[in-house]
Amino acid sequence: MPDHDPDHDHHERTVKPMVDEITDFEVLEIALRELCIEKGLFTAEQHRIMTEYAEQIGPTPAARLVARAWLDPEFRGLALRDPMAASKEVGVDWLDPTGFGTPSDFAAFKILEDTPTVHHVIVCALCSCYPRPILGNSPEWYRTPNYRRRIVRWPRPVLAEFGLELPEDVEVRVQDSNQKHRFMVMPLRPAGTEGWTEEQLAEIITRDSLIGVALPRPGVTTNVTTRTSPARRPVAE
Amino acid sequence: MITADDNGTGNGTDNGAGGEEFALLAEIMRRQQTWPVMSARYGVENPLPPWKTSLDGLCDALDRSGGTGAELNFSFKERRDEEDELSATRYASLPFPENQLVALAHSLLARGVIDEAELRRRLDSVRTRLES
Repeated sequence: MPDHDPDHDHHERTVKPMVDEITDFEVLEIALRELCIEKGLFTAEQHRIMTEYAEQIGPTPAARLVARAWLDPEFRGLALRDPMAASKEVGVDWLDPTGFGTPSDFAAFKILEDTPTVHHVIVCALCSCYPRPILGNSPEWYRTPNYRRRIVRWPRPVLAEFGLELPEDVEVRVQDSNQKHRFMVMPLRPAGTEGWTEEQLAEIITRDSLIGVALPRPGVTTNVTTRTSPARRPVAE
Repeated sequence: MITADDNGTGNGTDNGAGGEEFALLAEIMRRQQTWPVMSARYGVENPLPPWKTSLDGLCDALDRSGGTGAELNFSFKERRDEEDELSATRYASLPFPENQLVALAHSLLARGVIDEAELRRRLDSVRTRLES
């Protein structure tokens, strides 16, 4: 281990600290990946595409799906009955979401519809399973033992820590995910959005409201999330 | 809605890969350079190590490869099931995602996709490269 005192220059630091030590696990990940590539299991570019995809996709398709379901009862029925078909309508094919395929995610997807008396929230108590094809990568807090262990046992206090205090007459249902089953919440359409377009509604359907730790509210939009744009690839011109 | 048998860890069925022991992985476990230890030592707040997304990409790319059945002798579902089982049993003392990574290494070694001596040599060369 390097002789390094991480607190040494604390008072001068202007950027977040980083781990200045190469761990066995970092080395193992690289070694496995390189050997798999050399054995022809996949290419370095294929790996990069999967990694980039996982890091960049945002919640927009899921927000559009819910907004459309709020406006169109027939589409709402489809979303609840056949969520994979509904996902396709907003441009997400669970069987081939990247065009390259993330088969680990395709298993099964279900949308949990909130009602005036039932509120859903999702978790993966075991690890970090999450509906990535439609919601992007999970937030860091979602993967912490703090959230995973406590939301299951004390959902109301944990939701309150997110600023969501639900009335006692609203039942809270915690839905556990796993590697075969992914879930997403369809929150209730809030008051004050009468006459809104699908675009307007999609703006307030934030990632957190689709996880179930927040409720959509007029004026609170997804615009606080990091703006990303697709990578530009060389074109043969 | 929480159900105990929903977590995908299986019921301990041995599919042929879980019974072996690999000295190399045992050594890595013993050294415990896990993210909770590292992040505490360096005052880092990120709950997950920086290599996690790359591991996600690796698993997805591998699953795609396994899904075609051309190069691997086990399907992505078998590997994922094995990953869950190994993470919850043999490598349960490691945190997530270290247990996910080591379980993947175990599966690849047990299935003969990668040879242990070959992996040991590669670990040495990668470490040398990163420390250069």
